[in-house]
This record gives sequence, C-alpha cells and structure tokens, in this order.
Amino acid sequence: MEQVSGKIGDFHVSVRKRARYVNEDLCTGCGSCAEKCPTMAVDVFNAGLGRRKAIYKYFPQGIPSVFTIDAPECRQLGQGKKCGICAKVCQAGAIDYGQKDSIVHLEVGAIILATGYEVFDPSVIPEYAYDRIANVVTALEFERLLSASGPTAGHLDRPSDLELEKEIEEIRKEAKKLDRQIRQLEEKHGRSSASVIEQVAGGADKELRDWAAQAEKLLTMEKSLAELEKRKAAAQPARKLAFIQCVGSRDFRYNRFCSSYCCMHSVKEAMIAFEHDNDVRSTIFCMDLRAVGRGFEEYKLRGGSQAGITYLRGRVAEINEDEARNPVVWYESTTSRQVIHETFDMVILATACIPSSSASKVAELFEVELDENGFFKTDPLAPLNTSRQGIFTCGCAQGPMDIPESVAQASSAAARAAEVVSPARRSA
Amino acid sequence: MNIDEAVKTYQTYYCLDCGVCTGSCPVSRVLPTFSPRIIVEKALFELGDELLHDRELWSCLTCGRCFERCPTNINFPEFMRSLREEAARLGTAPVLSHHGMLQTIMELQTQGIQQKKTAWAREAGRIADKGDTFFFVGCMPYFDVIFREIGVDSLSVSRNVIRILNGAGIEPVVSDEESCCGHDMLWNGRFDTFKRLAARNVELIRASGAKRVVFNCPEGYYTFKHHYPQYLGNLGFEVVHFFDFVETMLADGALKLDNGGSVYTYHDPCRLGRMARIYDGPRNILKRIPDGRFVEMERNRENALCCGTSGWANCSSCSKQIQAERLKEARATGAQVLVTACPKCRIHLSCALGNMDLDIQIKDLTMLLAEALQESG
Repeated sequence: MEQVSGKIGDFHVSVRKRARYVNEDLCTGCGSCAEKCPTMAVDVFNAGLGRRKAIYKYFPQGIPSVFTIDAPECRQLGQGKKCGICAKVCQAGAIDYGQKDSIVHLEVGAIILATGYEVFDPSVIPEYAYDRIANVVTALEFERLLSASGPTAGHLDRPSDLELEKEIEEIRKEAKKLDRQIRQLEEKHGRSSASVIEQVAGGADKELRDWAAQAEKLLTMEKSLAELEKRKAAAQPARKLAFIQCVGSRDFRYNRFCSSYCCMHSVKEAMIAFEHDNDVRSTIFCMDLRAVGRGFEEYKLRGGSQAGITYLRGRVAEINEDEARNPVVWYESTTSRQVIHETFDMVILATACIPSSSASKVAELFEVELDENGFFKTDPLAPLNTSRQGIFTCGCAQGPMDIPESVAQASSAAARAAEVVSPARRSA
Repeated sequence: MNIDEAVKTYQTYYCLDCGVCTGSCPVSRVLPTFSPRIIVEKALFELGDELLHDRELWSCLTCGRCFERCPTNINFPEFMRSLREEAARLGTAPVLSHHGMLQTIMELQTQGIQQKKTAWAREAGRIADKGDTFFFVGCMPYFDVIFREIGVDSLSVSRNVIRILNGAGIEPVVSDEESCCGHDMLWNGRFDTFKRLAARNVELIRASGAKRVVFNCPEGYYTFKHHYPQYLGNLGFEVVHFFDFVETMLADGALKLDNGGSVYTYHDPCRLGRMARIYDGPRNILKRIPDGRFVEMERNRENALCCGTSGWANCSSCSKQIQAERLKEARATGAQVLVTACPKCRIHLSCALGNMDLDIQIKDLTMLLAEALQESG
C-alpha cells in the first residue's frame, strides 16, 4: 500500500505491485525453470529448515500458481552474473528480467484489513535457549518437519541430525577436492603420500612438506568423517516430545494476552506426530489447556487417551542441553509439587501470535487505531469495524484466533463491506 | 510492612501458580520442601503466621533467578525481604554462619567503633583524605582475616584496585570511618541496622566531598545504587563500578594486559548480573587477555547459578550441593580458571572446592587483571 485517500464509499488506493520477473499471464506453473535453476536459497516457507531454488513458488498450493524470482539470490538479477537458464527453458516465454514494480490505482467503496500476524521470536527468552539448542524448535518449524512436503518429507528427524548431515556433506566435499589434488601429486611424482610423510619427518624441502601436510589433513578429515558418519548412523528420529505452552504470551515481560490457538495446535501436532509414528510420546506443559471450541475438549481428551499425550500442569522454567544434544527440561509439576528435570528428544515452543510488524505503518496509512497490544482496534459491539468508517478488519490482524474463526470473520467482513458497496452497484 | 502490604506492594496476587519460580530455584532443586510458589500461595491464602515462623523463610538465596523469569514480574527476592523484616520483628532469625561473627561486626559498626581501614591501603598505593573519587572498600579487611584459612586473600583485591586506580592517575579517598554497606543486614531482615549503617556512610562520603564512589564488591555497588536512594533519597554522588574504569582504561590503552594463556570461564554474581545487569563488562575484560580463551558455562548471564549462600545465613548441605554443582559445570567447559567478580562467591566456591577433587582454580577478576597487567612503569 502506498497511499489511501477518500472516505467510505469512495476510497482511492495506490498499491505497489512488486516485480516477480515472471509474466503471470504467460506462466503455466509447470516448474521446469525451478528444476533447471542452478541457485539454491533458504526456504522461508519451510521456516528456514530446507532449501529451494532462486526461482520458486512460495508454497505448492499457492494461488495464483505462478513462479517468482528471488531477485537478491538470483545469479542474473542479484549477482550480475550471466545465467538466463530459466528464460531458456521456459516454453511459455514468461521470464521477464526487466520487469519493474508497478503502481496499481484502485477505486473502492470499502476496505478490509486482513494483514495477519507474526510469530513471537523466542530467542529473546534466555532460559529457553532457542537460539542455542538445535533441538528446541518453534511450533511452526515443527509443523514443517511434520509436513509431507516439508524438508524431511514428514519424518521426525532431529534438527541436530540435520545439522550433522550438512556438516558431513561439507567435509566430504572438501575431502574429495583434497583427495583429487593429492592423487595428482602422487601420479606426477610416482610415489605414495605415506612415503612422503615418512620422509618429511626426517626433514625435507617446502614442496614435500606441503604435500605431507595436505595428506595428513586429509587423513584427519577422513577420521572425523568416519566419526560423524557413525553418529549419523546411530541417529534416531524424535520420539519423546515436549510441548511448551504460552511462550511469549500470558507473560508480562512480553505479551499479556492469551494467544488463543496454541493449545489446540500443540495437541494437533502431538496427534499428528503420533499418527506418523506410534512410538511417539508427547508431554504438553501448560498452566491450563484452553480447549474452547466445538469438539476441542473431546479432541484433547482423545489425545490423552489414544495418542500418547500427557498434560502436565507447570510452566517450564528452563531448558539445558546434554552431551547427546538432547534438550533437558526443568520444571515444577505443580500437582505433585516436585521439581523435575526430564530429557526429551525435541522441545516444541508454542510461540505467541503477535501483531504484524507492519501493523503500525498500515494503521497510520489507513488512519485507523491500534489496541493496547498493537492489533487493529475494533468496536466491541461491532467486532469487524475499525475506528474508521468503511474500513473493516478480520482474522489475526484483529487479535489471535484460529483458522475456523478467521474464516468466519473473513466472510463476515466481506458481508460488511458488501453492505457499503451494494447501493452503488444498483445505482450504476 | 506486614504481609498484606507486601502482597499489595509486590502484586503477588498476579501469580499464575505456574511453578516457573520453583522450577528455577536452585534451593528447591536440592531441598524439595522449599518452594517460592508455595510461599507466595501461603501469603495469598492468609497463612502468614505459618510463613513467618517457617525456618525456610531463611533458605531463599535471594538470587533472583525466579524474578528474572516470573511471567507476572513478581519481585520474589524483595517480597521475601519484606517477609523477613516482619519475621525479624517477631523475633525469628536465620541460622547465622560463622557463629554470627560477621553480623556482630556489622552491628558494632553502627556504634562507630575504631577501625583500621587505611593502613594496608597506604602500603598498596597512593590514597587521599579528600578528593573526587571515594573507594568504598567494604568488608574485605574483615574477610581477609576470617577466610585466609581457606586460602582466600580478600584484601589483595582491594590493594589491586588502588594500584590500578593509581595507574589511571586517580588517588582515591579511603576512610577509616567507612561502615559496612548494610547489604547483609537488609537481607537478614534487620532493616533498622541497615538504615543506621547507610546513613553513616552517606554522611561520611558527602563530608569527603567525593563526586563519585567506586565499588569493586557487587553487593556494595548494588545496595548503594538501588537501596540507598530508595530509603535515603538522592545521594548527591555517583555510584560507579570499578570495571567501568577498567573497561575505559583498556579501550584507551592506558591498561595493557599480557600473561594470559589459560582457559577462563566466568561466574556471574547475582548482585552484579541479574540485579545490576552488568553482564558484558567482566566478559569484555576477560576476552582482552592475550592468548587466553574464554568459554561460557551452560548456565550463564540471566541463567547463572547462585554461589549457594547469601547474607552469611543458613549455609547448609544444600549450599554445598549447589556450589559443587556449579564447580563441576565450570570444569565441564574445559576451563582451568573459574573467574568471579564477587568476594563472597569467591569465598563460597573456594570453601566447596576445598572438599572436592576437581582440577580448577578460582580467581577474582581484579586479581586476574593484576596478574595480567603489563607493568608500564
């Protein structure tokens, strides 16, 4: 959004449409560009856990089903190198490296602010060590790990093991390069590296010393590689899970409000993890599990009786890490009045729903008020009305709520907007 | 302040009964009967009498791990302090360490007993009777006598502070008339004694004409910075920590360090860390030691573990267990030297180390600085 003026029934809005470097009228979404694209980038949709190409679709089911170039990552656009592969393979001729941002002018009678929310960043809570312990993840990251289209194809591989894999890959690549160099030396001089190492021990010229040093480096690399491979072979999928509720919500230090949907998504994630692997056992740490909604209480109970979920009353005090990179959770079970430390394979933080970082900018642009928590302020008796006539809001832009409620609100907001514009339609 | 007033002042009625405090408490982990959550609950359920006569009122280390994490910001250490004041009024008291010798010394200082606080200082370097900068020595001369038997030379720290200040061209005022800062009396529930000590100190420093007071001890620093203004109003002088000087001097090149070569880890004292929120200063100094390597313990900064005893009271097997655990944690990092910045942490951890077979040294940061200092003449 660039500019908003006018009043109810007659708003003028300028919208900046970002360049995607793909002509969306031509793109058929076939995906051969992404297949051939040589550049990998961090996959934001997979919560940074996986990688994707520099030409991509944000997520598989996204609408419109059209590709976009991640300009800063792209060799041609971001790095000024010669590439052009996607343009070559695109049969529809949809690639347009010269595309620019464009401004779209809209004349509208009503506006609905559905700008959504953001997820609380738990790395500001020192006692949960989210930024330090690999196997402590957010619910959203866990959701991607559980997803069949996610970075692990739905298997519960632990992030520490994924890191291990990456480390092995990197060392292997380097070792391969070194190995090639050493082989060349061996062929050129017709002697083995072992004999060179032996000779160097008794003193030798620089060339031989370098050779020996390289050969020795390769040996240490191979040794550590074997060690890491052994660890990787012994790696087990996560089976003992801890879910921690109210991370960044119901907490005076961060957000006082209840984030409302996290209780249910923790139960859901624990259920799905169990369905994927019946040996999974989950503990949900909470002060109270707020299962308010049709069928929610029954779902929660079913999780307890049929999906290996334990509900434990007590907010987790801190998370440490043991030598095997397992998170160790310290808490007081307030029902048994015992301070307990328990080791889990993975810890999932139910992070709070917080106002979108752009909310204050949007509020300023549209001249609407924010509430004390930073969400769009609404009239208690007309919950979709913002403080300005003709502008409505719905979903998490207004406050934390789950998907069904957001959908219901969206329909409702659309109806409220229709009330404003329908007389105009008849008059025309 | 009676219990109802304390509940209102510290807004303990916001308690969610979530157990974060008890789960965080180093005492509760060792002593299952002690629980900050239950203490707050009892206060809310008007079980005050039981609370005030409970010996566990004195088990709290006031280390502030609970307050740091409390989702409703309940200042449990301060709440505890007001309960203790009330309990002390009723005549209950903690089990005093070292036969109450230290508390006796503190009480005596309210009477203005003759002290000899400057003789050693004159030997250590140049000091003044009047000037801009007052060096508040604190309990070091007493600790030096009492704890030399466990190998802790407390006064060397103060000597080195004077040497380093001299090196920066500062001749600090050190006074025979200086009293105990009152920290321990405050946390032992003896508010009247605290207030008398505090008033004496403020009067003395004002009379010296000092514009700023330098502290090396975190307890003195925090008490002057936080509690003195709370009860005595505007002090009329600045309260600064010695490390602020050191950091500036290192940055300016006025101090140069060498003689490193060890692996160091740092134990955050609770008054300096969680309460005064000084985390980076000591680490920055440690990281400047050439050829040294700095490693963090698992529990550091906001999460640091307490040294096990506070206010010379209720030292027990629980304290020893906390200390032993902390020392093992330090060793597990691969550190050869555990550095702390509080004279009491140093004493408590050294005491525990004496009974352990663990290959680690305990050093005060100022001592380490003195060792690493390049003699620039």
